[in-house]
Amino acid sequence: MRATLSTAAVATAAVFVLASCGSEGEGSGSAASGDLAGEGSGDSCSIEAAVPIGAVLSLTGAAASYGESQQRGLDLAAAELAEKGGVTYDLRIEDDQTDPRQAITLFDQFVSDDVSLIIGPTLSNAAVQADPVAQDAGVPVLGISNTAAGITDIGDYVFRDSLTEQAVIPQTIAKATEEFGLQNVVVMYSNDDAFTESGYEAFAAALEDEGVGVAETITFSKSDTDFRALLTQAQASNPDALVVSALIEAAVPLVTQAREMGIDVPIIGGNGFNNPRLMADAGEAAEGVVVGAAWNSASENPENTAFLEAFEAEYGTQPDQFAAQAYAGLLLVDQAVRTNCAADHDSIKEALGGLENVPTVLGEFSIDENRDAVHPAVVQVVQDGAFAVLE
Amino acid sequence: MLAEYATPLTFIALGAVFAYSFYAVLIAGQLSLGQAGFASVAAFSAATLAPSGDDVGDVPALLVAVVIGMAVGALAAVVLGLPTMHLRGVYLAIATLGFAEAVRVVLLNLEWTGGAQGLGVPRILTVGMAWTALAVVAYWFWRMGRSRYGRALEAIREDELAARSMGIDVGRHRLAAFVTAGAVAGLYGVLFAYYVRLIAPGDFDFSAAVEGLVTAVVGGSTMFLGPLLGSGFQTMVPEIQRAVGVEAGWIRPFLAGLLLLVVILFLPGGLASLIPRRTRMPSSVGGGEDGGTSHLAARRHPTPGETVVSLSGLGKEYGGVHAVRGVDLEIGSGEVVGLIGPNGAGKTTLVNMISGLVPPSSGSATVLGVPVGRTPVHRVAAAGVSRTFQHSKLFNRLSALENVLVGAHLVSRPTFLRRLLWLPSARRDERASLEHAARCLQRVGLGDLAGNRASSLSYGDQRRLEIARALASDPSLLILDEPAAGMNHVEAAGLSELIRSLARGGLTILFIEHNVGMVLETCTRVVVLDFGEVIASGTPEEIAANPAVIEAYLGTADEEPAAGSIAEGTLADPTGGGAHAMPPDTRTPDAVTNVDPGSAGTLPPPDTTPRSAT
Repeated sequence: MRATLSTAAVATAAVFVLASCGSEGEGSGSAASGDLAGEGSGDSCSIEAAVPIGAVLSLTGAAASYGESQQRGLDLAAAELAEKGGVTYDLRIEDDQTDPRQAITLFDQFVSDDVSLIIGPTLSNAAVQADPVAQDAGVPVLGISNTAAGITDIGDYVFRDSLTEQAVIPQTIAKATEEFGLQNVVVMYSNDDAFTESGYEAFAAALEDEGVGVAETITFSKSDTDFRALLTQAQASNPDALVVSALIEAAVPLVTQAREMGIDVPIIGGNGFNNPRLMADAGEAAEGVVVGAAWNSASENPENTAFLEAFEAEYGTQPDQFAAQAYAGLLLVDQAVRTNCAADHDSIKEALGGLENVPTVLGEFSIDENRDAVHPAVVQVVQDGAFAVLE
Repeated sequence: MLAEYATPLTFIALGAVFAYSFYAVLIAGQLSLGQAGFASVAAFSAATLAPSGDDVGDVPALLVAVVIGMAVGALAAVVLGLPTMHLRGVYLAIATLGFAEAVRVVLLNLEWTGGAQGLGVPRILTVGMAWTALAVVAYWFWRMGRSRYGRALEAIREDELAARSMGIDVGRHRLAAFVTAGAVAGLYGVLFAYYVRLIAPGDFDFSAAVEGLVTAVVGGSTMFLGPLLGSGFQTMVPEIQRAVGVEAGWIRPFLAGLLLLVVILFLPGGLASLIPRRTRMPSSVGGGEDGGTSHLAARRHPTPGETVVSLSGLGKEYGGVHAVRGVDLEIGSGEVVGLIGPNGAGKTTLVNMISGLVPPSSGSATVLGVPVGRTPVHRVAAAGVSRTFQHSKLFNRLSALENVLVGAHLVSRPTFLRRLLWLPSARRDERASLEHAARCLQRVGLGDLAGNRASSLSYGDQRRLEIARALASDPSLLILDEPAAGMNHVEAAGLSELIRSLARGGLTILFIEHNVGMVLETCTRVVVLDFGEVIASGTPEEIAANPAVIEAYLGTADEEPAAGSIAEGTLADPTGGGAHAMPPDTRTPDAVTNVDPGSAGTLPPPDTTPRSAT
């Protein structure tokens, strides 16, 4: 009898939840109504209705640490824009749970809610699957962390403010070759992750361009934590440097174990190394690690100084590159909206494509003809527990 | 309206198709996690081999891809199934998981799959196509449900050994279920690929497999709508949370997990257990014997007096303990033979050998022309042996009527494929089986309880249900292992009368019973076993007067206390036969009491029975 009662209770509850969902669903969808064209231009632009912006971030799941940073960057930018006035934004941040299927669903929902632009998703593979939804509907997308090649080839509504691995890595290798006189290196990468594998491809191409010899290429899994055997193998080639494409979870033990084993040649990392955790977790061992980055955290341009200060004040920690790119992304969207003083899809698309030499935390920023980001990259080296520009 | 919800609806359909690939094996009691591997192989093969939609049109391209994917999935299941089908429970799960992981690693390292970055696939699938595919899959499992094949799978899930004794070829059925799972998983892989535009080996990893399994279990793995309900639940939980306005972040997965916990706690049978399960009783049960039997397969019975069982020097040894030794016995057609003896005398071991469950260690036995020991149990059953068990081995989650229908496996015709096509002959055959089963139930006096779950019946009714199930196969030799245990004397008298009436119909019966009075009054011949050996054999009158029998049961005056305790299984046996000292249910380390695929939460040992017995 008790079992029957509780069964009935659960069933009733389920019906209520489903019913409430139904009514909620019907209510949404009218968020974007209102006039999205305003008067004035640039800083004087004023649009009556709030401009709806959707953001799809990985706030939970495997990529949660990136998504959380991005959320902070976006929130900070939104707060600053609200203060500025003239154009107000209705920023809705949703979590794709690091699941591309959720990303597709969210894109679909934002498209049917008729948002002016979608920011995200966090991971490149989700972007390949979800961006076509927006492209087909004619809704502009701004990727703020997608670094894989080919994302913007999805269509003319897809933009990004994140430099690709193909843009950053050649600069890193060129700078390191010049600095350390590299002739012979060992390349290591995790081959079961889309991001690190495409990073490896960029490294391989760059090394060939620079004429640096690759003594050996060693692969591992992104879940590996013991690299001693692989490092012994690498050591045998007596390389001038180790070139590593790995996520931060593998980068920390790899760097620590390499230094423990007495490998003191430079370690050159991909974008996965570009994380304050490298210094926090690897400590001393991280000294001398070279990392290419899209964002120079030590840059002294006024935008960056202000950003560092505001972020520190708001959250009590230093921002990382993901936060910086997210912050820059929303400000760039604002810039684009104000250019034509209109927030309809095609005005934003056109204005985004025309962005040129905009001062941002990332440096002077432009969008090229492939809708990819163009701005200076920076090659950093870990010195005294912090990233410094390699010079 | 529909367009707005197209994406979640498509994912519900996709998730349900994937869950069906788990349902396909769960219904047969197999826990496999290899479906993600099948889906992965199928998706990559189909995406690579299928023609482009630009050349042949989108829908034909998708159809070709589906055919390739299902074929590849089924083939992978055969390749994996042949060496692993003898594994049970967790062991099968681990083996299939290993396969899926191996597939993932191989695909990661091949050139043509694009490695970790994956393979681009055009989007062709629409919400309509996804639901069409789902409808086909659901239809398949719906029509399977009430077919002979579907019942056999359920019987295997509930009690594999009993299913074998009913003449079901467990190995073949399990492999068939596994291959179905492979094909359905392949279908999912292809549909998924042609919807999400990019497939990477990581999309089919361990967590994907677990998600499919959870969806099937939450929905309910015993009812064909289960996977659909499960997928609806799993897909809608995040949607609902979003709609209700739960803020994005850790709280959502937490709530989703909590909801999952609530469902599993309060609905252990899954969401589908909210749907009442009805049992159909045939309307015209009393409607004449011949009306139905013409649709049942005919069986040949031995002529009266023909030898049914022939044992010579039969022995069974368990690690030096002789449970049975040197038994010579002939049973002729039409005889009612009672097998009596103290606890631990080897009676159950002897009938286990006769019914083919336990291979003898020495001697030979021929039952209904079949050399037992080298013949799989289901073949022995097919030859006409049917039995009940000392401890009821009913299909607990099936109704009484369904239990008996499984018993009729050997005399009913396969109906699944004809049911798919709605052929009227399938309906007639099913009705004939139903009527036959209902008659068997009425014969043991359980006609009113046909719709009750077997596990809900009283102990005495369960014993009777076992007899009805054994009778349903229209056997030539019926073996009853302590059928009257737990019955009061009125019920036992009824049972005695039933046995005599069956014997009058020409059935040969061998039964073990502790109720000596009942044995003496029912049997034409009584065989007494003690310490594994036949100590007496003869008519009931001869046995009642045999001093050796009296001694075995009561002991001589000076040995009385010890002997009495042996009979109760409470005292060490002074004669050194270690097996005699143990309670009867644990003393024979055979497969009979060990295999129980339906019992969750236990860790059965790896199956070591020889392959020939499956």
